[in-house]
Amino acid sequence: MWFKGLLNKLTKMQLMTVIIVIICFVGSFLFVDNNHEFYNRTIAEVNEAELIDSDEIVDFHGNEDHIFVQKLIAKIQNGEEKGEVVHLNNEYSTSRAFDNEYSVGDELFVSIEDRIDESNELSGSILDVKRDQYILLIAWAFILILFFVGHKQGFYSAMSLVINAVIIGLALDFYIQTTNISLLLISGVSIILFTVISLFLVNGNNEKTYAAIASTLLGTLILFIVTSLIMWGTAGEGLRYEEMQFVTRAPEMVFMAGVLIGALGAIMDVAITMSSSLFNLYEKNHNISVKALKESGMDIGRDIMGTMTNILFFVYISGTIPMIILYLKNSAALGFTLNINLSLELARALAGGIGIVITIPIGVYMTIFFINRKRAKV
Amino acid sequence: MNILVWLSMILLVLMVAIGGQKGARSFIALFFNFVILIVTIMFMVDPNVNPIILTLIATTILSCINLFYINDINIKTKTAFISTMSTIVLLLMFIILITESAMIQGFSEEEIEEIKGFSVYLGVDFVKVAASVIIMSTIGAITDTSISISSPMREIYRHNPNISRRELYLSGISIGKDILGTSANTLFFAFFGGYMALLIWFIDLDYTFGEIINSKIFSAEMITILSAGIGVALIIPITSWVTALVLMKAGAKEEEE
Repeated sequence: MWFKGLLNKLTKMQLMTVIIVIICFVGSFLFVDNNHEFYNRTIAEVNEAELIDSDEIVDFHGNEDHIFVQKLIAKIQNGEEKGEVVHLNNEYSTSRAFDNEYSVGDELFVSIEDRIDESNELSGSILDVKRDQYILLIAWAFILILFFVGHKQGFYSAMSLVINAVIIGLALDFYIQTTNISLLLISGVSIILFTVISLFLVNGNNEKTYAAIASTLLGTLILFIVTSLIMWGTAGEGLRYEEMQFVTRAPEMVFMAGVLIGALGAIMDVAITMSSSLFNLYEKNHNISVKALKESGMDIGRDIMGTMTNILFFVYISGTIPMIILYLKNSAALGFTLNINLSLELARALAGGIGIVITIPIGVYMTIFFINRKRAKV
Repeated sequence: MNILVWLSMILLVLMVAIGGQKGARSFIALFFNFVILIVTIMFMVDPNVNPIILTLIATTILSCINLFYINDINIKTKTAFISTMSTIVLLLMFIILITESAMIQGFSEEEIEEIKGFSVYLGVDFVKVAASVIIMSTIGAITDTSISISSPMREIYRHNPNISRRELYLSGISIGKDILGTSANTLFFAFFGGYMALLIWFIDLDYTFGEIINSKIFSAEMITILSAGIGVALIIPITSWVTALVLMKAGAKEEEE
């Protein structure tokens, strides 16, 4: 009964959206469950898993662990050997730091090595795990929760995230195709695009948005200048670039671009909070004095600066936990471990914090400037 | 002088100059957070300690610092605290499930150069550590969103004491909707800034789309970003509900007295 009532309440447009979402939902799951032919690498699904050996080991540093050996029989899902059975061996430990325990139903990327003479069955080795279905699952969970909580705004937020992700992808691709353009220049252009697109999508076309865009760009520019001055002044002393992961390019540039883009979201957040709350005050009382606006703005800024800096801090520092554990368990000294693993992340978090705090007064003055401009027009 | 010392000093000076006493407190809280994180890691190294329970204890202490120390103990921060902890427990269950099945724990093929020479048989359960990393990276954003909702709800209730519980709840949701976009944005860019090098690496080494999506390191990062996003969305109805309930109860008590 309630379902029928709900159906009547929905407009035609909403009904269409719901249907399209359901089709996308079901379709995408059907696709990742059956996309094996799109992969070049051979995929096999585990049909049988048998534990054949287990062993207790103690490493050089006195860490105790168990090593297990599994025999897996898996069915190949794509390519020339599709439908055939492959025999795999897998070794894993209880800590699973660099290995996995597989069970029936897991899908694995494998390389086929040999045919076993008597049975003519294949043997191979495991390359990696097929994880696309989990990415899809959590992406849908994210989109649906965003939509249920935020309705239209939730949808716009998700849209702006997707658009920003595409811009980042395109910008990096462009950077790699063209060898002689600096990463900083590309980041600069991307930052302007991100700011304009995200703030318009989240906040609409109005003065609040213009003030927020101007404050964000100015805040990011000052952050860039401050960080470059310090990096130049100290010649990068204290930053352990040699421990920077995945570097194929000049590490200073990659680091700097990371700092600016990493802080950008938080800076936008501060800028939009400042401009919306001050514009709100102005709309409630058109005769509010500049001094009162300034005071309220600084008050709000004081309230948000601690928690905003915390957000960046936790995002950056938490990621280093597994590596720090690895170092400490391998008898590395605490000071050395922290120095090596945390220097870049701490610098990123601190620089982001500087960007956040500096954007507070910038946001206040910029918004007051836009409010005064509006006043002059009226 | 060391670049980290310079950055910390500039941050401290700016926080005090702009935020006064509260700014100084925010800086000290940042320092405390750092110490607690390191202490948590020191405990995690012990194979007999369950990383999940450790994480729950650590997040309790961290949210106490970030809510009660920066903002004082009052009805706003208390409801924010209850909401934060409930969200974390809910989110944690979901995250453990997905880290377990997606096998994103520990170190990836791409990190092999870095961990060469280290023993990886440590006895510490890295699946649980991975879940704990995801929760820890979200805690800042969750407490922030929570206090940003409970605080204006308190104001609304003060100005309209006759508001119904449902209306109060809906006003919380509406405040939440406004900050959802920017909070998700903040997290998204923060993570992207950290992963810039990785993305360049993927493109430079000609990874195919399929290889990127299925690689342990990329999946781990996507799952972290999206879990964080789910966390900041989930905290909105939870905080609105808890705050509406607690404010109504507290209001009824005041009337009786």
